[in-house]
Amino acid sequence: MIQAIADGYVALKEAIFEHALLPALYAAGLMAWEEDAAEWLDFALFGALAVLVSILVCAPLERLRPVERWDGGTSTVGTDVTYTLLNRLGLLPLFAFVILQPVETAWAAGLARLGVIPPTLETVVPALRDWPVVTFLLYVVILDFAEYWRHRFQHRFDWWWALHSVHHAQRQMTFWTDDRNHLFDDIIAALWFAGVATLIGVPPGQFPLLALVMRVAESLSHANVRLAFGRIGRFVVVSPHFHRIHHALDHDAGVPARVHGTNFAVLLPVWDVIFGTARFSPGYPRTGDASGSERLATGSWWGTQVEGARRLLRTLAGRG
Amino acid sequence: MHRRSLLLGATASALAAPSIARASAPAGLVYVLDSRDATVSVIDAARGEVVRRTPALREPHHLVYSPDRAEIVVGDSAGNEFLFLEPDTGAIRRTLRVSNPYHLMYSPNAQWLTVASLRRNQIDLYRADDLTLVHRLAMPRLPSHIAWSADSRITYVTLQNSNALVAVEAESARVLWRQPTGDTPAGVVMSPTGALLVANMGEDTVSEIDPETGATIRKVRTGAGAHNLFPSPDGLFFYVTNRVAGTITALDSESLSVLAQFRAPGAPDCLDFSPDGRQLWFTQRVGNRVGVIDIETGGLVAQIRVGRSPHGILFHAMG
Repeated sequence: MIQAIADGYVALKEAIFEHALLPALYAAGLMAWEEDAAEWLDFALFGALAVLVSILVCAPLERLRPVERWDGGTSTVGTDVTYTLLNRLGLLPLFAFVILQPVETAWAAGLARLGVIPPTLETVVPALRDWPVVTFLLYVVILDFAEYWRHRFQHRFDWWWALHSVHHAQRQMTFWTDDRNHLFDDIIAALWFAGVATLIGVPPGQFPLLALVMRVAESLSHANVRLAFGRIGRFVVVSPHFHRIHHALDHDAGVPARVHGTNFAVLLPVWDVIFGTARFSPGYPRTGDASGSERLATGSWWGTQVEGARRLLRTLAGRG
Repeated sequence: MHRRSLLLGATASALAAPSIARASAPAGLVYVLDSRDATVSVIDAARGEVVRRTPALREPHHLVYSPDRAEIVVGDSAGNEFLFLEPDTGAIRRTLRVSNPYHLMYSPNAQWLTVASLRRNQIDLYRADDLTLVHRLAMPRLPSHIAWSADSRITYVTLQNSNALVAVEAESARVLWRQPTGDTPAGVVMSPTGALLVANMGEDTVSEIDPETGATIRKVRTGAGAHNLFPSPDGLFFYVTNRVAGTITALDSESLSVLAQFRAPGAPDCLDFSPDGRQLWFTQRVGNRVGVIDIETGGLVAQIRVGRSPHGILFHAMG
């Protein structure tokens, strides 16, 4: 079954690349980007597959055990669908890549001139060469740790929160909300990842199935579903219940989530447990950001992007 | 291989049916670098089957024999290391940390090793015996493929996103010239006539270039997306992979006249030959396969599934 899907994936990629993308690049005089284009096609097809699997896993759960129903009112989920498609199909990451690629090249070349070759986990611990899956999982743990701290800083610093509030403004949180982020925030995330990669190298790329499972888990954590992972499971993987508490509109004393932030983990809740930010309170609170504007909560993709940028400028100008 | 047989092969190419047995490959191992899977697929050439997958670190692209042919040197660009493989088994003997080795080539006198760092816009010159870095040169965008002058004095590197070829004197690291070639130059080789040949991937041409001045003498049309070119074992032909056209063109190595076109699906990239020169093995970058062409008939006689984005390939004869 998995082999058949893999074969179909390769055949589809080959057909698109050989008969559409490659001739188009050639006609446009862009053959210097041909290798990058092949990688982006992979990214987009993998993203489409991840969206499909997320729909298959999350949509039935949201129908069976929803936390909230929004029948009759205006739905803002469509904006998050746009965010997801723009991200997963590679359009926004491509924008970040075009901006950051020369920076990344200059940075790597500068390190090379200094005689610095960034390590990988396998060069630090040679025994890992014989355990590629273990190596991959170790990268997942380390990168998730880095993401935990990036997320905490998104809530800690005013200017960063101005951008991250785009993500929190959604009052109709579903599995589509995972990708709802400001473009500037995505660029910072890419730089953050590049910084970590300089220290430990980039993870192996040969485990697409594991990467797919993690992507779906991240989508599921935002799903509008009454689902917790039990007394032990709640410490293993971030559940929709655990992450909904992070997105709570207001906490105990009516203080916005931003200030009393909890449950920052993206995949592994253990970071919140270790650093004292875990909260396993019962109930499924409403989501949103009380400090945000209506446009930030209900605007279109473009509207929320503009509003996020305005909020950033106001914060930087000291009027936030 | 007689030139006439190539012409016959061109007409027969569309009729051939896949069958590795018909091709009766000589004994040997074919090394294929699965750049996106971070593995080296080792194919038993006679059986047409992958018999081993040797793990690389992140992204192996090109490979060469060491000057004494005792090892196969694999450049893992994103992994920042060389892998040294035992040619008869594919086992890793040792590794060495180096900066972003994309394409690599030893000088004919085995004194130098040039490395093109595609993602760092650098050319590195190593002493071949102990792989000590001697020179690191900053270059314009995307230094890609390498050739050497016959006297091992000058190394030539295509600058893929700068539409140029650069000549560097190895000893002094002095740039002798940098000249435009065609659109997106990739593969470069020294021809028996003493001219440089450059495949222009943004065009359907191979440029013939004066190695003294870098001036383009003429351009020969091969096929859309001319990517890389390789001399046949007997030195009589050059074979050009045309990435967009999905073909491989056989050129007379002296006159550069087109002798044959072979169908080569899956975005052909690098190729190598069976030791008897009867088969041409090429990587299909998006097809995740290696194709085998019988040069006599021109037929695609086998396609062997390997890892993702197969790039460099080397046929190691045995027995």
